[in-house]
Amino acid sequence: MHVLYPCVASREARRGTEMSTGRYPVSVGVVLLSSMMQRVLITGAASWTGGHLVRHLETRPDLEVSAVDDRDPVVEFEADFQRLSLDRLTLARYVLEVEPEVVIHLQAVHPTSEHGRSAEAEERILGSLALFGAIERLDTVRHVIVKSDTAFYGASPRNPSVLSESTRPQGTPSRFQRDLTEMERFIVQATIRHPDIAFTVLRFAPIFGPRVGNPISRYLTLPVVPTLMGFDPRLQFIHEDDAVSALEHALDHPVSGTFNIAGGGQLYLSRILRLGRRIPQPLPGRLFEGALGGLSRAGIDVPNHLRGLLKHGRITDTTAMSEIFGFEPRYTCRQTALHAYGYKEETS
Amino acid sequence: MTRDELLSMTKKELAALARESDISGRSTMTKAALIDALAQHGEPIGEEEPGLGRAGGVAIPGVAPQDRVEARARRDALYERLKNFIDAGVHCEWKSIEGYPCGLPVLVGTARCGLHGDGAIADRAIPLTGRLGFDTWPRLWRHLSLVTYDVDAFGLDPVIAEMAWHVLNMLYFDYFRVEVEGIENVPMEGGALIVANHGGAALPYDAAMLSLAVLNEADIPRRVRVIGTEIFNMLPVVSHLYRKVGAAYAVRADARELLRRGHLLGVFPEGERGFMKPVWEAYRVGRLGRGGFAELAEEASAPIVPVAIVGSEEVHPAVMVSKRLAKLVRVFFPEQRVEEIAIALNPIPLPIRWHIRFLPPVLPSSPQQHLDALDQLERSEDIRRTIQAALDDILSKRRTAF
Repeated sequence: MHVLYPCVASREARRGTEMSTGRYPVSVGVVLLSSMMQRVLITGAASWTGGHLVRHLETRPDLEVSAVDDRDPVVEFEADFQRLSLDRLTLARYVLEVEPEVVIHLQAVHPTSEHGRSAEAEERILGSLALFGAIERLDTVRHVIVKSDTAFYGASPRNPSVLSESTRPQGTPSRFQRDLTEMERFIVQATIRHPDIAFTVLRFAPIFGPRVGNPISRYLTLPVVPTLMGFDPRLQFIHEDDAVSALEHALDHPVSGTFNIAGGGQLYLSRILRLGRRIPQPLPGRLFEGALGGLSRAGIDVPNHLRGLLKHGRITDTTAMSEIFGFEPRYTCRQTALHAYGYKEETS
Repeated sequence: MTRDELLSMTKKELAALARESDISGRSTMTKAALIDALAQHGEPIGEEEPGLGRAGGVAIPGVAPQDRVEARARRDALYERLKNFIDAGVHCEWKSIEGYPCGLPVLVGTARCGLHGDGAIADRAIPLTGRLGFDTWPRLWRHLSLVTYDVDAFGLDPVIAEMAWHVLNMLYFDYFRVEVEGIENVPMEGGALIVANHGGAALPYDAAMLSLAVLNEADIPRRVRVIGTEIFNMLPVVSHLYRKVGAAYAVRADARELLRRGHLLGVFPEGERGFMKPVWEAYRVGRLGRGGFAELAEEASAPIVPVAIVGSEEVHPAVMVSKRLAKLVRVFFPEQRVEEIAIALNPIPLPIRWHIRFLPPVLPSSPQQHLDALDQLERSEDIRRTIQAALDDILSKRRTAF
């Protein structure tokens, strides 16, 4: 699918720069862009997903990658890396200095939000606010890719069985969900002000895989997994490799819009644990909370928003992903789980 | 040996006798089953009531022996019919990534079994082994425990649904002895709404019996995807079990999606108010919600099949409907939106003889003819009246509830 930058030219025209012939035909835009060297800025590059994305992109000759994060990368890469605070104006200054064409914003919400440790409400999304401000000031940016999360929909018994991108979340939002909602609101506002920039918001299902090491992966690969008694949530995953490919796909196919990103199919939690030969330990409400608290102290942090997920589950509709965004994950949810649990066989 | 003689013997003696008479493999048989087997063994069948011996098992109070014979016959007819959907000679060649072969027989006319086919199992509940029965459970369990298949978008687990079908058939054939009329009104293809009166006070027996009526009586065993209130999502155990057997949550998005996928959508628009009807209001169909189902059907241009169910509103006669108790429940479970709680005196359902009548479908209007909100309200009121008339008709013809 070729969805391009029909608005790049018009933006230049509006600003009275050299491209004043008005809106270019879409195909012309492609030729121009593909022949140019693109500067790509990646925030949150220290995470597993971010690191692997940088490693994928730095080998490509048409891209010049700068990576930013506030901690040391877990994956080694050669691209330019700046360690700076993501929730200060330093980020915005750095973005203004780099003048990127494409911004891949992986650290849209500060991890303190997800992990429920103390942080001021503003601070958690200050990085995003500063970044979007800088993007709006720059003329160079044509495409912004934001990594959101399906936690956006929350996990409520009143949610429909299959959540599409336009579903309004129900129930009391968790902190992470509130922050995601607010961050996506910034994007909506920015889209209205700058229709010439393509904003791609990718709402990722929980990323699962053998190497990613995020809370849900660590929780699901415990030898004995505490579960909530009487509840068997339906879960959906995106494989760690697919998450990286989805971001890369977004870079190559700039489609404006919000998309759920998840592998095919779905699994009940009990089935996942059975696939992985893990022992489920059903615990009643309080004890379950206690067990998760214990896990947190043992270093396996299960964030608050995942507790809702482990009760009510969450399934999203991925038709927009395959039909509009044009991305097909390599792994289904079942294959993802198998792979995460160490099956080596090639996926069919 | 006569039946009376056998009845006076202990189980041990019966078992010894069975071994002597070369009726082998009897160790798991109940006493009643042993007596049946020995009675048949000793004398030619036909001296006692025909076929009664085969009914076997525990006598159900309130259910006549003749009913059990009839139930047996209906069950046999069903099993005979279900066999036709499966090609027992050919086995599915599907193999999981881990290398587990499938091994189930294929559906007639395809190369795959129900689980690994094209997903039609979400609509057509064809038994995976061609039969229903506890003896098929080990094969089903294997697929369940190896997770060889995917559930559908609403969480339907075909294996668990099939097990539930088999178990609930005991209620359907032997206990409630459901009689079905007008099953030909249920379309065998494409989406349709099935709208019925609601009752039960304790458990939604009517949802189960309605689904089973279509599974057991229709030409093709199609699933009725019933939608239920959010309380199902909140209750432990129920929250996942109701999804696994094929129900969904009663929210517009779900209903729309189910119809779009061409399923039979079962709705009880009376809702909680209908469910909690006190016994003196039984079979008085209340307001059918806000008529939202008529709008849904119109949107999806799906026919509406009204259904009158007699039986559900008497199994737990509610002698009192309490708002205060509901208030108390809300104090402890603030997230539950219960308005009323019905109190019935019997912990086990009464053995009512059920009668389900499927009425001629109300077809959607043509695309040119736009139905406005008022038309839809009128349509819903018409359907309410049709169901009420059918209920009155069935009730006037029946002599006893049991």
